[in-house]
Amino acid sequence: MSELNQDVVVIAKNNNSLSPKGFIWLFASIVAITLTVALGVSVVGAWFVLPFAGLEILAFAWAFHVVILHYEDHDSITINGEHVIIEKHRYKQVEKFTFQRYWAKVILRSNQDGSHALMIGSHGKEVEFGQRFISEEQRLHIATRLRLQIKNND
Amino acid sequence: MSTTTVAHHDEHADHPTGIMRWLTTTNHKDIGTMYLTFSLIMFLVGGSMILGIRAELFQPGLQLMKPDFFNQLIGVHALIMIFAALMPAATGFANWMIPLQIGAPDMALPRLNNWGFWLLPPSAILLTLPFTLALFGIGDGALATGWTFYPPLSVQGGIGVDFAIFAVHLLGISSVLGSINIIVTLFNMRAPGMTLMKMPMFAWGWLITAFLLIATIPVLAGAVTMLLTDRHFGTHFFDAAGGGDPIMFQHLFWFFGHPEVYILLLPVWGFIPQILQTFSRKPMYGYKAQVYSLWAIGALAVVVWAHHFFTAGMPVPALLYFMYSTMAISLPLAVLFFCWIKTMWRGSMSFETPMLFTVGWIILFGIGGLTGLVLADVAADAQYHNSYFVVAHFHYTLFAGGIMGIMAGVYYWLPKMTGHMYNEKLGKLHFWLTAISFNLTFIPQFFLGLAGMPRRIPDYALQFAEFNMISTIAAFVLGLSQLLFVYNIVSTIKGGKKATDQVWEGAEGLEWTLSSPPPYHSFTEQPTVK
Repeated sequence: MSELNQDVVVIAKNNNSLSPKGFIWLFASIVAITLTVALGVSVVGAWFVLPFAGLEILAFAWAFHVVILHYEDHDSITINGEHVIIEKHRYKQVEKFTFQRYWAKVILRSNQDGSHALMIGSHGKEVEFGQRFISEEQRLHIATRLRLQIKNND
Repeated sequence: MSTTTVAHHDEHADHPTGIMRWLTTTNHKDIGTMYLTFSLIMFLVGGSMILGIRAELFQPGLQLMKPDFFNQLIGVHALIMIFAALMPAATGFANWMIPLQIGAPDMALPRLNNWGFWLLPPSAILLTLPFTLALFGIGDGALATGWTFYPPLSVQGGIGVDFAIFAVHLLGISSVLGSINIIVTLFNMRAPGMTLMKMPMFAWGWLITAFLLIATIPVLAGAVTMLLTDRHFGTHFFDAAGGGDPIMFQHLFWFFGHPEVYILLLPVWGFIPQILQTFSRKPMYGYKAQVYSLWAIGALAVVVWAHHFFTAGMPVPALLYFMYSTMAISLPLAVLFFCWIKTMWRGSMSFETPMLFTVGWIILFGIGGLTGLVLADVAADAQYHNSYFVVAHFHYTLFAGGIMGIMAGVYYWLPKMTGHMYNEKLGKLHFWLTAISFNLTFIPQFFLGLAGMPRRIPDYALQFAEFNMISTIAAFVLGLSQLLFVYNIVSTIKGGKKATDQVWEGAEGLEWTLSSPPPYHSFTEQPTVK
């Protein structure tokens, strides 16, 4: 989660414990291991191993591709003059919800397990923010900060 | 502008019910449960097969079955126990526990996870179907080559070999899919603050297992496909008459087969120290030393394969290399044993069922390791190869080291998974019956091997009768005592004393911070590890 001043922006995103560079290194290591073995046994005549090694590398490439597609998924709130804008970034799709700042409400809905869902909305329409990206503690903190920031619209 | 709190909003708890829940689930706990259930069923199937074999071996002479059927039971027993009982059990634990232990909401690729599991039942059917087909006069039964598929026997065998080859392919795909998921999950989905060197030991064990699988599965897949083309498409990869080399198959098979031993054991070596620290109520000793030892064993696992066929003949330098490299594995393994014992040293130990299984495991697996050193010696192996000494050795490694370890894990995590405590008295009875009958089954087999009884024969010389009789009676006690295990698991799932969140007084780690059982979707918000 990060916040900037001026227009207030709050961003909530997944914790990716491996960097994009790390993914490249990991993939390179897997390719190196698989190919070393496959080429080694091919040299002694077992070339049938090669297509299976290739398929395995392709499977890894596909899996890493899927993960990297969602690497930058995030939710953001921008408080900007008269508006509160919520954006949900999922791969290349962006859902954008705009509310009038004066009417916008910050709602904490209680879940059955005692935690809360942070909803922002007005006039019967609500959007959840940071569903799987932020902790309960962060959710409560953001709710308080948003309340202050949205109020402070002079 | 206002802040409002409204009650009852819990969309996270929504999930399909009935059969569709299990067919379409992408939830790591559901998939873990399916793996563990499948493993238990196949453990009973594979176990029943070996009881048939032991019944035949109760006395010399042929009493119950023809030699070919005897050989089929042996081969399918091994394949089932390795691929359909032990591996799925370890994968079941991985699915259940890895996300909980690293603070992730699920596995990285949940759909892939679902596919990985649903490849297993068809492969189990492929392995066992030839038995049924033979009853209707189709084919001549399952593969009768042992689990090793050695040509030329496997090239000449019936359709059971083809079925087994396709089963191995499906199992291989399932393993690779599981490995992809575990590698991505462990690298990318750890909670903030959980560096690699803070990962639980079980996660380390599985990470190395996943790397071993991706290194070796293509070789197995290639080897059995070459076998298939030799059988049906006129190739001569393993046919000496056509310029091929049957020994090459042994190299390829054991390049996979030896790491497979560690693939089965590394996950167990991962959670054993966690159980030890819980019931010794003190921190794990030598975390870094254990991690480095696991990596060392993983690396050595892929360069020692030929000790499985010293007697097939190879140049003396190769014999020496494979002998010394095999013996070198005992060094990191000794470090692990030292760390496990030191974790217990001066601990405030208690002996609940998981700890009993773990301590028993250390002793019995130790015997498996030490007898492995004997077999690693080229000169000694010339005498013991293909004898019952080998059978006893690998059962100390894979039953004691693998299955008894898995049982320790089941008793350790069952209260967390089900929310109920198992029956402790029954658990302890299960342990003692298992430990005693296991030793009574396999110690005689060491003596049989030393006396020269070869493996994979349905009949034997009269001099081996007494030890075989003891072994068979003990094997039946061992098999029947597993019904206690099944009963204890089923009754724990159905009900029992409520388990606390921490379950065990000394338990530490993220999985114990969740409720017992954990919510359907756990860690919907990320924990932070300090």
